[in-house]
Amino acid sequence: MNKSTTFLPTLMPMLRLAWKKAWFRYVSFGVVLAALPLIPGMTSSNATILGSVVYFSIAALGFQVLLGYSGQISLGHTAFIGVGAYVSGYIVKELGLPFPLAVLAAAVLPFILGLVLGLIALRLEGYYLAIATLGLAESIRIVFIEAHGFTRGFSGFFSNYPRVLGYQFNKGSTYVFMVAILVALMILVYNFINAATGRALAAMRSSQSAAQAMGVSLFKYKLMAFAISTGFAGIAGAMYMHFFRYSDPTIWNSGLSLNLVVACIVGGIASIEGAVIGAAFVVAMPELLRIVPGLGSINGASFVLSGVVIILVLLFYPGGLVNVASDIGKLRSRLSKGSKHPERSTEYVAE
Amino acid sequence: MLPNKSILKVEHLSISFGGLKAVDDLSFEIAQNQIYGLIGPNGAGKTTVFNCITKFYTPDSGNAWFHTKQGKTVNLVDHKVHDIVGLGMVRTFQNVELIKELSILDNLLIGAHSQFKTGVLAQSFRLRKAVLEENEYRTKARSIIEYMGLGGKDAELVGGQPYGTLKRIELARTLMSNPKLIILDEPAAGLNGTETQALAGLIKQIRIDFNCSVLLVEHDMTLVMGVCERICAISFGKKLAEGTPTEIRNNQSVQEAYLGKDE
Repeated sequence: MNKSTTFLPTLMPMLRLAWKKAWFRYVSFGVVLAALPLIPGMTSSNATILGSVVYFSIAALGFQVLLGYSGQISLGHTAFIGVGAYVSGYIVKELGLPFPLAVLAAAVLPFILGLVLGLIALRLEGYYLAIATLGLAESIRIVFIEAHGFTRGFSGFFSNYPRVLGYQFNKGSTYVFMVAILVALMILVYNFINAATGRALAAMRSSQSAAQAMGVSLFKYKLMAFAISTGFAGIAGAMYMHFFRYSDPTIWNSGLSLNLVVACIVGGIASIEGAVIGAAFVVAMPELLRIVPGLGSINGASFVLSGVVIILVLLFYPGGLVNVASDIGKLRSRLSKGSKHPERSTEYVAE
Repeated sequence: MLPNKSILKVEHLSISFGGLKAVDDLSFEIAQNQIYGLIGPNGAGKTTVFNCITKFYTPDSGNAWFHTKQGKTVNLVDHKVHDIVGLGMVRTFQNVELIKELSILDNLLIGAHSQFKTGVLAQSFRLRKAVLEENEYRTKARSIIEYMGLGGKDAELVGGQPYGTLKRIELARTLMSNPKLIILDEPAAGLNGTETQALAGLIKQIRIDFNCSVLLVEHDMTLVMGVCERICAISFGKKLAEGTPTEIRNNQSVQEAYLGKDE
């Protein structure tokens, strides 16, 4: 007791200093997220939902690079998650190769696929790109159904928890592993977004003329964002395959692609944290609705609510849910001081 | 093709939109370290000339020979729009094109984009070379912000800054790319008399401090006559006259184009 009272005053400023570093925030977030299943009373099905949130966060994070940071849309990204899932499953189960190699392949293959398809599709813009990616995803889904030798079609592909260097993961440790991957990717994205690449993307989004005049090749950065997002989708797929240990073509439908869009917009466009919050929203919301009496029995209630929420957010809260905490903080300080609210933080500049 | 003492030589440049000849067989030449003015009444095709030599438009015919900062002579017409700045020619826009949601410092750093050598991977993993490069250009950006009289505003967002400041930020951004030739599209538009005076001084100073040439398109005669050593007057995409400010001021056809013909 006595020790902690002398310890705290020295610890707090250090923590505050560390908190300014994005990696520290993300690692702390990861530790909390990884510890959630340990909360007493957490059921196994709730732990599964958490796993769903984490794998989908990885995909949403990649999608944020595309939608939020580069300003392009795709309605077919689930197909790339599917590719990642089947590729990783096949490599481990059928080829007997190590799990890390499978994850790598699940990232690289969709990345290359994204590059090649991007070379063609990115000549299109806006609606046309959306339609092209939608069509593309459907054709890839047909491949999932028909390529029986590779995907087992509708019978489904069964897989196991990962095994790395003789260590056999179980459900809990696979979940922790997924969280670690998510945190690592969040840090990587943060780093390049707050560097020349991120500025080039921001310029491209805001003024294409300015971007070009300053030497930003629009095509190169569009393609890069597209390939990064497909690569992340592939990693998400590999995580899915080895957490849920099962995949079939019905999972990789266009509804899931739309959920990526919803996640990025509702969570907060062009925000790393927003992608994760949004992913948590789209994954957890249907589950929460199930508990609500009356609503729980209505089929598709969550779809309707997703639609309503996306409209509400776009109209009244375009910054997304990621701003809720800071807006409440501002509101409180305004109410308590009665003064003008402080200017929006530009902490990434100061770092 | 291009004499050593020149930085840019435009030869027989033509472009038309539909039936309209926006630029018609225009030729002019800018010397090293010269401040050169391109003037003409509204709709004369001045900005179109800019857009042609910076490759926002591809001219129908003609050449634009340029001494690059790498020491080569190239025809700008053969290059892509995003490669121009790397060759040493950088532009501003008539309607200020800045990234509103970024800070002033970040906007300047975008100006250095062509200078960055590290790729997205090095940046993602914050490799030493990427961090050093970032810091190098941050330091440079801060000193240019200081130079432009915007010291202390580094972290302020561009959105919401007064118009005169926006013009300065855009000019500051051009300096980040180590240009050999800065081309300014109506830099005095929207500025008041005092601000225009200050701008004239600034342009002259930049030419000395950054050892570069300046090409400016302008409406504002006080600025053009005050800073330009040589002027090309155009009307309906055609060259009317070329010469020193005094020659241009006294030129009959220039006067007619601006003020109309005496009947």
